Amino acid sequence: MHNYRLTALCAIVLVLGFVACGGGGGETTVAKESSQPAPAAAPAGNGAINGTVNYSNGDPDTAIKMGADPVCAGLHSEPVQTETVVAEAGKLANAFVYVKEGLSGSFSPPADSQLLNQEGCRYTPHVSGIMTGQTLVIRNSDPTLHNVHALPTKNEEFNQGQPFQNMELEKQFMAPEVMVRFKCDVHPWMAAYMGVVDHPFFAVSGADGSFSIAGLPAGDYVLEAWHETLGTQTQSVSVGADGAVDVAFDFAPTAG
Amino acid sequence: MAAPKKIPDRHYNFRGMNAVFAWSSIALLVTTLWMVWDDYAKPWKRLQAEFRELEREQLVTEAEAERAKLNENDIARIEEDIAGEEAALANKRNELDELEDALVATGKNLYAADARSRTTKSLLDTERFQFDVALQSGDEGRIAEVRAEVERLAATHLEQRKELESFADQKKSLEADIESKRSGLESSEKRLAALRSGYDNLQHRVASLDKKIDYYVLNAPFMDFVLPDLKIEQVILSGLYNDINFTDVDRVDRCMTCHVASTRAGFDDETWEQPFRSHPRLDLFLSASSPHPYTTFGCTTCHGGLDRATDFARAGHSPTSKEQEQEWREKWGWKPQKYLEMPIVPANYSESGCIGCHAGNVWTPESEHQDAGRQLINKMGCYVCHKIDYPAFEDLPRPGPALHKVASKVSQGFAYKWISAPREFRPTTWMPHFFFQPNTTSPENLERQKAEIRSMVAYIWSQSESPEYPPAPAGDVARGQELYETVGCTGCHIRDADAKRDDFFPQINRLHGPNLIRAGSKLSSGWLFAWLKDPKQYNPATRMPSLRLTDREAADITAYLLTSRAPEFEDAELPAVDHETRDALVLEYLQNNLTIERSHAELDKMDDGARDRYLGEETIQKYGCWGCHEVAGFEKAKPIGVELTEEGSKPIHQFDFGHIHDVPHTRHDWIKTKMLEPRIWDEGKEEVKSYSELYRMPNFGMSEREAEAVTANVLGFTKDYVVSSRRADQAPGAAALAAGRKLITSYNCQGCHLIEDEGQAIKTALEDVAQLPPNLASEGARVQADWLFGYLHDPSSVTMRPWLNARMPTFGFEDEQVNTVVSYFTHRDQRESFLSTPSRPDGRNLTVGRVTFNMLQCAKCHPAGPSASTVAGVSAAELAPSLLLATDRLRHDWVPEWVTDPQSWVRGTNMPANFQKMKDGTYQSPLAQAIEAPMFSAQKREMMRYFESEEELNAFLADAGQVTVALRDHIWWNLN
Repeated sequence: MHNYRLTALCAIVLVLGFVACGGGGGETTVAKESSQPAPAAAPAGNGAINGTVNYSNGDPDTAIKMGADPVCAGLHSEPVQTETVVAEAGKLANAFVYVKEGLSGSFSPPADSQLLNQEGCRYTPHVSGIMTGQTLVIRNSDPTLHNVHALPTKNEEFNQGQPFQNMELEKQFMAPEVMVRFKCDVHPWMAAYMGVVDHPFFAVSGADGSFSIAGLPAGDYVLEAWHETLGTQTQSVSVGADGAVDVAFDFAPTAG
Repeated sequence: MAAPKKIPDRHYNFRGMNAVFAWSSIALLVTTLWMVWDDYAKPWKRLQAEFRELEREQLVTEAEAERAKLNENDIARIEEDIAGEEAALANKRNELDELEDALVATGKNLYAADARSRTTKSLLDTERFQFDVALQSGDEGRIAEVRAEVERLAATHLEQRKELESFADQKKSLEADIESKRSGLESSEKRLAALRSGYDNLQHRVASLDKKIDYYVLNAPFMDFVLPDLKIEQVILSGLYNDINFTDVDRVDRCMTCHVASTRAGFDDETWEQPFRSHPRLDLFLSASSPHPYTTFGCTTCHGGLDRATDFARAGHSPTSKEQEQEWREKWGWKPQKYLEMPIVPANYSESGCIGCHAGNVWTPESEHQDAGRQLINKMGCYVCHKIDYPAFEDLPRPGPALHKVASKVSQGFAYKWISAPREFRPTTWMPHFFFQPNTTSPENLERQKAEIRSMVAYIWSQSESPEYPPAPAGDVARGQELYETVGCTGCHIRDADAKRDDFFPQINRLHGPNLIRAGSKLSSGWLFAWLKDPKQYNPATRMPSLRLTDREAADITAYLLTSRAPEFEDAELPAVDHETRDALVLEYLQNNLTIERSHAELDKMDDGARDRYLGEETIQKYGCWGCHEVAGFEKAKPIGVELTEEGSKPIHQFDFGHIHDVPHTRHDWIKTKMLEPRIWDEGKEEVKSYSELYRMPNFGMSEREAEAVTANVLGFTKDYVVSSRRADQAPGAAALAAGRKLITSYNCQGCHLIEDEGQAIKTALEDVAQLPPNLASEGARVQADWLFGYLHDPSSVTMRPWLNARMPTFGFEDEQVNTVVSYFTHRDQRESFLSTPSRPDGRNLTVGRVTFNMLQCAKCHPAGPSASTVAGVSAAELAPSLLLATDRLRHDWVPEWVTDPQSWVRGTNMPANFQKMKDGTYQSPLAQAIEAPMFSAQKREMMRYFESEEELNAFLADAGQVTVALRDHIWWNLN
């Protein structure tokens, strides 16, 4: 192409009897004046959010009937409770709390993988978070068939059978998505939820309802708490350069 | 003496002529320059130049962003590495140079030493001879002297050789060192290049858009004929015609001249404005790999407009709103193109362009508006009054219920109220309002309409049979509700007094049957019970299927449905009608064919009932009721409306805008307005026109969206401009697909099933998604044609999914209809209709199949034996179809493919993949590894009987292809 251009150009130049011409040749580079530094890839910080997730009711969970698969039933000597709402003394466990808005820059996923274990015909952990691009290892620790059926909407759905004990499967989620549900079609009581976010600032409330998110740069953020049946709540928080901010989420039983 | 007058030697005045020449050549020059400038300063050139600038800016920004993304630390580190490596390399090279110098020096030394050594050797030989001589002579001193000399020489030689060899070794190792340093440097440079490649590419592209002197010269006036950057882009579309003065001319699309970026991806965020935006969905349109490449279909085939125009106004752009029109007038000098037959269809109706090629299909895949519009046309039954000569609208069933037994279903009083205003009783109904419209509001016309409705009821009742239905057995309302909600009624029906039709747009599957509100004020329990039990006993042509309800189930549902009531519609009486008005109408009809005197005589001959019936029959003819409803006496009547087959090409001056001035004079505005207010063009004319001349198009109560969707279709009903070879509906198999889709739409299969990723409307009514009826993706590849044929005839013959509460209904299809469905599925999934049965496999496959079937625990979900005890059932969701049905039902070629990767066949299926798909597209089987576990040693021994070696067994187990065939063989031959 360039040759044609040059030929055409020369022809014109000759025809018109122009003498000097400096066309072609050197490549222009991008204007240098706008070479201010890039937005920091991953601004680190010392801010932190500590908080509690409260619940105005007790734990309504019931025992799971695992009799359908004798292998599962055989793995437990005590009755196993469902994990829909795990709450004790007004504190709610298994709430996924993450920074929803306010972050800038990109964060690279940790090299460590995250484990989703099928153990005793339940998913451990029931609720967890993972970063985009981080490796998720899904293990079947049970001597029975599980299938791990992820039901994301923004990531690729998969449904993989794990018929053998200690089988492992590696997956990655590339798009942020809160939450991705996992189910086992063989054992309908099994469910897990995973929040996929593109930064490391998330946490899951513990049995005492507490959670903490550390290493935040100073700034104003929107924090969201998600619970599988009680819905989501958001709060705005201002985090200083140092020191921790305390927040609390209060969930109440949903109507009906 | 006066000088003789100089006689001019020419008969014209030099000076005068010079002035004329001078001025005219100046004028000519100016004109030429003006001409060149006018030709040069085309708006599209300005646009192309502007786009070039914008694109360059965008690239500069992208390049900056790309550089910002580069991790400066990484780059600095690599650059440091490179610098270090370069320094090290330079050092090494210096060393090498030194070494080579040394090598050369040593080589020289060696050469000298060698030469010396050779000399010495010959001397040695001499000495040896001398030695021998000396020995003979016995001169002891001489002997010792010579021997010492020989030894010294030998030692020197050895030393020099060693030195040389050590230099050579050093050189070799140094060279290797240099090589490794060099490759290290190269790999660092490569890493840097890879890191920077995005940035460098962008920079390169920026450079290509820089305006250097060649750009200015090549695009300058006078010179832009050689190789300009700014030029008209056009594509000649042979086979796609434009009607220019009654001649079909190939289209030459030049839209790309201004819409520069339309075929390129990446110009679709909000920063890009027309004409610089990418076309949406390049995977579907314009790109070479899409089904509609630009070079084949161009732009105007779908969008309309003047193909050759490079001027905004002449191209025929159509604004979507008044604001846009105003904006365009100011910015682009837009003005309406009165004489352009096919202006560009406004953006919100673009999908109308699909119809030209997809007319034969009932669905245009991926279209939203247009497909919704087509379904609305189906539901509203536009095609019964207006002939639409497209395969999609041929041979469709009548949209409304047959009326030949209506006397047994509702009362005459109810019928009167219903016909007067159907939406009063059922707001979501598709039945339109024919009466009491804005153009029939005068007191006389109100009376006339009452007389018409009353006489229609009289006529219909006079023609109707009235079988008696004994009251239904008592039912349980709660059980009835549960059945209604679970057994499948909700795929086609809603029961919600507050629902609006528009809420369901564009998925109208659940409005397929009537909204079941207020049944208690309309129907008798006996009629409803009998209808639910067997709809065809009342109307053999109905599409309402039988759900095979037991008496008790039917009674329960009847009881539940009758709980919804609207008392104002109960016990309605037929109103009294002004006999004078009725008789005047009768006379008017009679006078169409008879003299005034004869018609009066005829009227006098009729008694009261006969006059009612006569007017009723004429009224039914007038409004075309028989188009939607089967009415006795009208089996062969002709459509009453305007044909719509080429409505989209109808010249704008043939549309009647009446006295309405605020509707823009465009086709689409006229059609949409007509949809929303069908009688609007009569505004101000009610007094002028006679009653029979008034518009009678009924009002469907359309929402804006509905009206636009229908309009998008009507606009697409144009003259045929596309050669048949380019039309989608002419593709091989298209007829089978179209026929199948038509039937699927008619019977609302998608109310329950997912077909071609559309449907499962029932989902909104089901609490438990595990209760969703199956997704029919890959059905044609999955089941045997003859099985499907039998199943569609009698779905009760087999129950695949016993956990589903919803029942596959019995539609009572004819063989032809069933064949249409079967052939649709096999064509869609590109399978032959029938296939041979597989031959019995060898013992190896049967054994491996059985063992792996157990190892993979298939029977955890699939019943695999005659007793259900093998199934681990607690909830519906975990069950899977019994494998005992497999050999009769499934295609044996499909089973191994399905087991290999179920998700690729049915997205979201509960059937897990047992083989992991690798990046290279192969599948990894976990069995080869698992078989090594001690717990499977017995299984391994069992299989080893069929294999020569463990390697052979492992290779078999690792191969998903062989294992899945073995599993199929197990299901086919061991289980069945």
